[in-house]
Amino acid sequence: MAFAIEFFLRRISQGLVIVLLVAFVIFTLLRIVPGDPIRIILGPMTPASVLEQTAKDLGLRDPILVQFGRFVGQVATGDLGRSFIRGLQGGSAGGSQDAAGYNPESRASVAELIGTALPYSLQLAGLGILFALLVAVPIGMAAGLRAGKWPDRLGLYVSSLFVSLPNIWVAVVLIFLLSAKADLLPAIGYRGFSYTIIPAMVVAIELSPVMIRAISVSVAANLGEIYYDVGMVRGLSRWTMIFKHVLRNAAVPLLNLFGAQMIGMLLGGLFVVEYIFSYPGVGMLTINAVFQRDFPIIQAVAILASGALVAINMLVDFTSTTIDRRLKF
Amino acid sequence: MAPQSMSKPGSPLMEVRDLSVAMRSESGVRPILNTIDLTVMPRSVLGIIGESGSGKTVLSRALVNWIKPPLAITSGSVRYGGRDLLALPEEEMAALRGREIAYIGANPTSALDPTVPVGHQILEKLRAVAPQLSRQDARKRIIDTLDAVRIPSPAKRFDEYPFQFSGGMMQRALIVDALVSNPKLLIADNITQPLDVTVAAQILRLLRDLQKDFDTAVVFISSALGIVSEIADDMIVLDRGHIVERQPVNALLEKPEHGYTRELIAKVPKIWTGAAEPPAPSAQNVVLDVRDVEKTYEVRDRNAIFAHRKVQAVRGVSFTVRRGENFGIIGESGCGKSTLSRLLSCLEAPNRGQILFEDRDIATLRGKDLLALRRRFQLLLQDPYNAIAAHSSIGRTIAEPLLIHGLVPRREIRKRVSAVMSEVGLSPSLYDQLPVGLSAGQRQRVNIARALVLEPELLILDETLSALDQVEQAKLLDLFETLQARRGITYVYISHDLAMVRRVCARIAVMYLGRVVELSDNETLFASSSHPYTRALLSAVPTVEEKPYKTETYLLEGEPPDPIDIPPGCSFRTRCPFAFDRCAREDPRLTLLSDGSLSACHLEGSGLPAVDIAGLQPVATVAQTRPVAP
Repeated sequence: MAFAIEFFLRRISQGLVIVLLVAFVIFTLLRIVPGDPIRIILGPMTPASVLEQTAKDLGLRDPILVQFGRFVGQVATGDLGRSFIRGLQGGSAGGSQDAAGYNPESRASVAELIGTALPYSLQLAGLGILFALLVAVPIGMAAGLRAGKWPDRLGLYVSSLFVSLPNIWVAVVLIFLLSAKADLLPAIGYRGFSYTIIPAMVVAIELSPVMIRAISVSVAANLGEIYYDVGMVRGLSRWTMIFKHVLRNAAVPLLNLFGAQMIGMLLGGLFVVEYIFSYPGVGMLTINAVFQRDFPIIQAVAILASGALVAINMLVDFTSTTIDRRLKF
Repeated sequence: MAPQSMSKPGSPLMEVRDLSVAMRSESGVRPILNTIDLTVMPRSVLGIIGESGSGKTVLSRALVNWIKPPLAITSGSVRYGGRDLLALPEEEMAALRGREIAYIGANPTSALDPTVPVGHQILEKLRAVAPQLSRQDARKRIIDTLDAVRIPSPAKRFDEYPFQFSGGMMQRALIVDALVSNPKLLIADNITQPLDVTVAAQILRLLRDLQKDFDTAVVFISSALGIVSEIADDMIVLDRGHIVERQPVNALLEKPEHGYTRELIAKVPKIWTGAAEPPAPSAQNVVLDVRDVEKTYEVRDRNAIFAHRKVQAVRGVSFTVRRGENFGIIGESGCGKSTLSRLLSCLEAPNRGQILFEDRDIATLRGKDLLALRRRFQLLLQDPYNAIAAHSSIGRTIAEPLLIHGLVPRREIRKRVSAVMSEVGLSPSLYDQLPVGLSAGQRQRVNIARALVLEPELLILDETLSALDQVEQAKLLDLFETLQARRGITYVYISHDLAMVRRVCARIAVMYLGRVVELSDNETLFASSSHPYTRALLSAVPTVEEKPYKTETYLLEGEPPDPIDIPPGCSFRTRCPFAFDRCAREDPRLTLLSDGSLSACHLEGSGLPAVDIAGLQPVATVAQTRPVAP
């Protein structure tokens, strides 16, 4: 118990520092790239005097550190700022509707925008991981248990095939086959759960090859450990050894792979897949924000992503050390 | 399944007939075991002795039908309870394993799943073997058996993980695992090999007692004659896959019939009777002066927030080594020997105290001075495999230090390296070869050559010879002796091998829990030690001669205390058979005794039983010195 408290205290404080650093870097980068945000907020037709006045009012002419301090203060209270572009209804405003004077209240809150999009992304990610596990666990296990035999080769072939398929191409092919030709599933936009299935398949195809290899390698390695043979000589059955001991030991490298690599792949995959399918998740929101230079959304998503990575890795490490008490974090 | 192996007393429990095992590889079939015949009687202990490579582990595994490719059984049968185990279907064999036939191997620390508490794994096995036992009953039975093998606080240990057990503890836990289901036959393959002598002696005595209590027959396999002879009733001698001799233990030791057996008996090192004269202490100047050195490590405490616990690895060690001397440091694993070797070789700095090499404090040296100093003393470690880079040629490996120190012009390097190679007994034709295929002994010679090429003055040998067999060890000791005569090198031997230390060291320090408890010259230490711990170590040495220190007087119980919670007073008193109330209050310091030795004991040698070296029998009748069951 004391260990858990110390672990989380230490890791949360380290995590906060990391997230703060990431936030600072992103915040600074977005403000030193060419282009004055005030022009994006107010539109190209606004007179220069109004621009300058509004910029001063909004604090955009303060030193970056001051701006960052203010931003951190806002984030701490749960306020991620307001979109430059999007109106309260979520649609993009354009032109020079604020020529008469800018009212920040007319823009959508970033927290609300992300809050609306996040459940869709979580649903897609969750279903994608589930599909990937459904494919990777049986194939990977079979490959690991029968190393050198045909299931091992099957695992290798499947993962080589999947890893060499670009997800954009897979998406287009699946849309063509399952949606356009067979008319089994809807593909574009979102009007119900069935809209998640094809995008999740694309995500799963991207994730599963790494999982298959990792599962088969770590299961095979554990079968080579002395404790596995000795267990059977001690009088335990092969299946007891596999389900109670080999899987438990194999889980640790898998968890670490998940925290270190797969979450990154998943985030990257979501952006592309959501864009292809016009799926209304955080990925779509972010990509549109990038095209529109809607900096508050970009920085909020980046900070959230780094926070999620830190949190997931913290949980992964805690689970690992609970499974294998030799590990020290 | 009904027990089918209920045999009448007198009829054999297991019969092995005509058993042959071979290794199949691309280069053909190599026989490992040839037409082995043996019989195990109920409630007896059959000892099997053989050197490394004799096929004894393969034999022990064949007895439980655990032969995996590339090994294959080519002929024969292992009959148990009227059935041939080798022809048994997988499920029926699995039903016998753990229930009727138990197996314990030489590698206790990797025999269990590292991520599950030890007790839980034994529980899992017991419940698999005896499903009619309730969880509580099974748990209670395991905790009782853990108590029976003298694991302290067994209920707490039940929930601890394998890595929290020392090697000796783990071997006890595996004995519990094997015996808790009341098997009829226990195969013990080299189970004392990785253990310290004191712990090995405890395990042997324990196994002997348990064997009687549980009515189990034991097949006890070992490479150390001194160990098998302590426990076995009958003995089988295995040489390169053949049984060359079988006799009751006493007859085998007194009247060995086969030449190989005689050779084996002759190879067991003699410590008291017929030992060669030990080297004399040197009178030259002091080379290494260790003054009150301390080293503490910090480990994170899992049971408190932001707390660290201090592991006191070395606690105030002082000694001096003179030029041309062989100095020995002995002690059980965990006593701080290896930490001390790291401090001596300047890999780590002590927290307190000084180490002077020729009157200069090595902790103060930096940069060039440190490099120059490093040239003059070299460290040789135990593992000859990982110490050599696999991808560079042998000559290049040995030349490396010359290149680092820039001592010799490049064109002369080959000459220098070749000279050193022939000096340590490596053929200079190996110069351009990779180390693949070198034996452990040859590899250790490469390490020695790499150290010698710098012409060091002090060699620290941290268990350097422990991984080698007796023959190779003897050859290298001869080599060290020649080198000493030729170059005047000073050696510090750090070892747990008492027989080796007896042979080569002039002065010896005995360490216990990070401290030197006794320091004296070779003869005084072995003949009339004045510290109970040293006597306990000596009483536990596996030999075939009669020992001046009787096991029943000195045998230690338990293990050294945790170096985190060192008890107040004398740190040895928790295991000392002679402890009295002063020991709990006062920590004894090293004091000079009348025989010239230093000892950290309140008894100062006077309260210990007298030792009679002259009255020892030259060749022991081992059966009579067997420990008496309490």
